Amino acid sequence: MPYPEQMVAPMRAELTSSGVQELRTPAEVDDFFAQTQGTALLLVNSVCGCAAGSARPAVLKAMEHTTRPDRFATVFAGQDVEATQRARELIGDVPPSSPSVAVMKDGELVHFVPRHLIEGRSAEDVARDLAAAFDDICN
Amino acid sequence: MGTFHDTRDPLHGITVVATTRDTVFVGRCHERAEGTVVLVDADEHSEGQDGKTNAEYLARAARFGVWKKHDRIVLDAADLASLAPLSDFYGRPGQAATKRAEESGPPPAVDHTAGETAGSAGEDQPVVLTPAAVAEVKRLLAAEAEPGLGLRLGVAGGGCSGLTYKTEFSARRDGDVVVPEDGFEVYLDRKSAIYLRGITLDHQSGLGGKGFQFQNPNATNTCGCGESFAV
Repeated sequence: MPYPEQMVAPMRAELTSSGVQELRTPAEVDDFFAQTQGTALLLVNSVCGCAAGSARPAVLKAMEHTTRPDRFATVFAGQDVEATQRARELIGDVPPSSPSVAVMKDGELVHFVPRHLIEGRSAEDVARDLAAAFDDICN
Repeated sequence: MGTFHDTRDPLHGITVVATTRDTVFVGRCHERAEGTVVLVDADEHSEGQDGKTNAEYLARAARFGVWKKHDRIVLDAADLASLAPLSDFYGRPGQAATKRAEESGPPPAVDHTAGETAGSAGEDQPVVLTPAAVAEVKRLLAAEAEPGLGLRLGVAGGGCSGLTYKTEFSARRDGDVVVPEDGFEVYLDRKSAIYLRGITLDHQSGLGGKGFQFQNPNATNTCGCGESFAV
């Protein structure tokens, strides 16, 4: 059951205010994935403070890295259920995980950070790992 | 390690691997109480299931996670051989693959199941003290007024690399991982044990010595003085 919107609005704004495109509907997800050229990052957001509390700032911190994907987007698991379901169908053959981070290159999933590699870690640590992945993928 | 629920079990909210003799369970640890371990959103795998060994199953789980088979599963702690974070089975977060998980199978896990003794000296021992460190601890313990104390090792947030080591003499506490040494015991709380697995504690005496020194294979970064580290 989704949380009250006023509760999750700051979690959305934390990302959108920094330029992350929020995908609220399956159609918006389809549009995002339709562009297959280049690199893209998709954050599956979550209300879970255990891990999403690090995932959101980690992505924002990683966005400051000089080498980075061309596009950044997010879907909100548990809130925008249909959009998240569609995103999971398109990400690739990986188990549902929220929060999680998927990095695509030319339409293919090339890097995936599931929840268990986020939980219990600082945003700085997760961001450092993302930046290292960007260096490998986005050059 | 642990989550923002500071009042709960250190493994609460952490995706863990619980192993029995033949079966591996992967799920988010909800709680450990009354001799049970409760996992949510859990999967399980038996040796040879779907043509995969447990090591092969864990290698993929560590990299991508698992498909949920159980909303909630309650395990008898007495049946568990080990309980450890799934992330421990991944070489280093951020790497495309993990040689440790994919080629060598899972590493020995710190036994978090019941706070019991962690076994005798050997490869499974979570911390190792050099003879020099043992001798210095025994010398210092002999000067303590309170009998029966052990060496408590831990980690805390702080220092220029993010985490700092803590050492003190203390009594054994419920839930401690206990490492027997010659003449005393080493205690690690469960949360610290995750960070300290595999460390070696040395001691350098004399004018040029640095006192107690931690050699931490888990550290990805250390500060110049060696008193803080990152994992």
